[in-house]
Amino acid sequence: MTRLVVRDLRKRYGGIAALAGIALEIERPGIYGLIGPNGAGKTTLFDIIAGGIAPDSGEVLLDGRSVTGLPSHRMAALGVARTFQECRILLEETCLDNLLFAAQRKDFVATLGQFLSRSQAARRAQRAEAMRLLQLVRLEDYAEVPAANLSFGQRRLLEIVSTFITAPSLFLLDEPASGVNPALLETLSDFIRTMYAERPSVFFLVEHNMEFIMSLAGDIIVMHQGAVLERGTPQAVQASPRVVEAYLG
Amino acid sequence: MTDAILEQTLNGLMMGSIYVLVALGMVLIYGVMQVVNFAHGVLFTAGGYLAHFFYTRVLDSYPLAILLSMVSLAAIGIAIERGIFRPLSGNLRNQVIASLGLILAIENLLVALWGPNALQFKVPTTEMLVSVGELRFSVHHLGIIVITLAMVALLGLFLKFTRFGTAIRATSQSREAAMVVGIPVERVHWSTFAIGTMLAALGGALIGPLFLVFPQMGDVPLVKGLAGILLGGMGSVPGAVVGGMIIGVVESVSTLYLPTDYRDSIAFLAMVAILLARPQGIFGVRMRGED
Amino acid sequence: MPRAVTGILLLALLAVLVAMPRIAAGEPYVLHVLVLCFVYAIPAVGLNLMLGYTGLVSLGHMAFAGIGAYAAAVMMVDARFGFWSSLALATLAAGAAGVAIGVVCLRFRSHFFMIVTLAFGLVLHSVMNNWDEVTRGAAGFGGIPRPSPIELLGERFSFAPLANFYYLALAAAVVVFALQRLVVRSDIGRVLAAIRQDERLARARGVNALLYKTAVFALGSAIAGFGGVLQVSFLRVAAPASFSLAESINSVLIVIVGGAGSLAGPALGALLFVALPEYLRVASEWRFVIFGVMLVAITLFAPRGLAGVAADLCRRIGGKPPVERP
Repeated sequence: MTRLVVRDLRKRYGGIAALAGIALEIERPGIYGLIGPNGAGKTTLFDIIAGGIAPDSGEVLLDGRSVTGLPSHRMAALGVARTFQECRILLEETCLDNLLFAAQRKDFVATLGQFLSRSQAARRAQRAEAMRLLQLVRLEDYAEVPAANLSFGQRRLLEIVSTFITAPSLFLLDEPASGVNPALLETLSDFIRTMYAERPSVFFLVEHNMEFIMSLAGDIIVMHQGAVLERGTPQAVQASPRVVEAYLG
Repeated sequence: MTDAILEQTLNGLMMGSIYVLVALGMVLIYGVMQVVNFAHGVLFTAGGYLAHFFYTRVLDSYPLAILLSMVSLAAIGIAIERGIFRPLSGNLRNQVIASLGLILAIENLLVALWGPNALQFKVPTTEMLVSVGELRFSVHHLGIIVITLAMVALLGLFLKFTRFGTAIRATSQSREAAMVVGIPVERVHWSTFAIGTMLAALGGALIGPLFLVFPQMGDVPLVKGLAGILLGGMGSVPGAVVGGMIIGVVESVSTLYLPTDYRDSIAFLAMVAILLARPQGIFGVRMRGED
Repeated sequence: MPRAVTGILLLALLAVLVAMPRIAAGEPYVLHVLVLCFVYAIPAVGLNLMLGYTGLVSLGHMAFAGIGAYAAAVMMVDARFGFWSSLALATLAAGAAGVAIGVVCLRFRSHFFMIVTLAFGLVLHSVMNNWDEVTRGAAGFGGIPRPSPIELLGERFSFAPLANFYYLALAAAVVVFALQRLVVRSDIGRVLAAIRQDERLARARGVNALLYKTAVFALGSAIAGFGGVLQVSFLRVAAPASFSLAESINSVLIVIVGGAGSLAGPALGALLFVALPEYLRVASEWRFVIFGVMLVAITLFAPRGLAGVAADLCRRIGGKPPVERP
């Protein structure tokens, strides 16, 4: 089980405080939503948790262990996986290869060891799993097609499923609904629920699309001006006057 | 001994001026287009050759030859920006590779047209001498320093106080924001490139009479200019000036203590030192984590 | 192309190359050109791994070939080491230089790597030209021996005859190309390709990009060094001009026009830019003007080079759609 603790995180960019001492805790599996007006600091928080950017001060703890400022590849090895707002996949590779890349070992020494042991069984298992996930998002016909040939919505699904194949314990999705055709949103929602059902862990979504996130998440965290403003069920948060004011004011 | 140091310092300022001219052009292009123009060296060389050509074949005036060379290189620069860099915009790797092709093509074109041997570029200013204390320098030496400082000042004023100069600064800060505000970003791109190539041409035209005009003459100034930019800070205009001058002076003064054959290594060592100690350079801002 | 067809074609090619000394018995020049081809293709493979597969633009690649060449020269001529140990040590030296340079600049944005490799190449060239006591300066380091004879099937096999050196160069090229394929088709190769396409994404998926980039840079530089030793042993002399900026640009030309990121690219490029000019003998400067224009044109219109064009053609013949470049 993954316990994520964020303690008093601060981050300034030039004169602007993106994070002003934000603190939060997530201690059980679930689908969590992170919302807030533009400039609230949501992506900065994600970037710091996922690794690669160090905060000016404060801590991030994963299962009690400090992971503040670790590079993103170390965070990935610890089970933190993320998608990107702009949707990042390997465009020149086929859908299947995208998944195989995501699934394969990345540790340098381990990849060298590949030449010594030819484990065909493991490879076949990985391939089968990749195909199963492609079927889950209905992209199995595109297995051998370069990702560049996919529509944006399909790329988004590919990205999410590539992240999922790594079996993360903390799954960070940065605006998964952004840029996706409204007709596909319900499908996307269903897939996230299916994936969660298959392997319940912490799914942490940043979203601007209220309808999408409110129907998906069980626990909503509202950020404003670099800190947590409000937290609760979708109903509670939507009814909160402070939240409404933050968005309008 | 102090005379020797003074002499080398002045020499260093002169060579540093040349490096500054190269560095300025590259830092402007880098700031606006996020591209390191590795072809700057051959454009510098072409500037030297064209100045030589105009001076020996067309006019008899060195200043006019320089001017004509700068204008020609500006035109070439614009053609390069529109024909090569713009279509490849966003793909740094391909832009750099294409500029390698330019280096090959232009350098060998110069050899094909003027032969592989160095050309003599005799101008009156190298003969006229001026006394500075106990030392004597040619007008040409001092002229290079003066002209470069004048160019730096002009450029500074242009960037700070004119509308187009501000447009250039805005575009180098954020292309998107500049477009939103209505700045003609494409025009900014090719004019910046033109300014850069003009400065390179000026450098080549000024150094030609001192060290001959030959096909590889731009290779070393290219690297020294890059070292200057790294030292000063990747996107910084004042950094390019300070960095270029420092490299020039340190190099020249070092010849008093180290064998002259290795003075070129100074710039490389400076690069390594800066990357290890303070990668953002003297004027640079601390870089943010990854990417 | 179906695996079987490629396999058969490769075997046929190999057979022809092995038989070449007999096929071209009366024309030693053919063998000479082919050896040069192999000897330039080898560093090109190193650059292909770096640039074509991982996206690292090294602007001083041939400087590492020079490190290998001069290190071996000094070891063989001054320190009296044997050829084979010099070859091994010189290759390691080139690789070590790659690690040193990589550690300094690979953790920053790619601009820095390009700038530092450019500067390194120029400095090294200057050292080769000026450090007379060790490198013999601009005149070149002569007296480099051919590889020491070996015992093969009870017979003493000397490398002084052209045909025998040809076999060595061919074997070396085959080994290097096989190594390239091994790396590219492995899990490591997939990681390198990911780094080239989107390094930030690769990192987010667990790739220690700095380590992989340094490793491939070291490997590519070592391969260059290996080629450098063979080159100067063949020509019996090491000259700074062979390892200049112009030569480094040439190696980029070979890789890019041949086809960056393709297994056959370095071979096609070496054939085009080493073998063909030797045959055509067009005036040297115009030849390079044309090459420069080709490089620009390829980058603008056919970034996957000759190998890419050939691959697209095969796909079209096979009825499949061409791969879209993003």
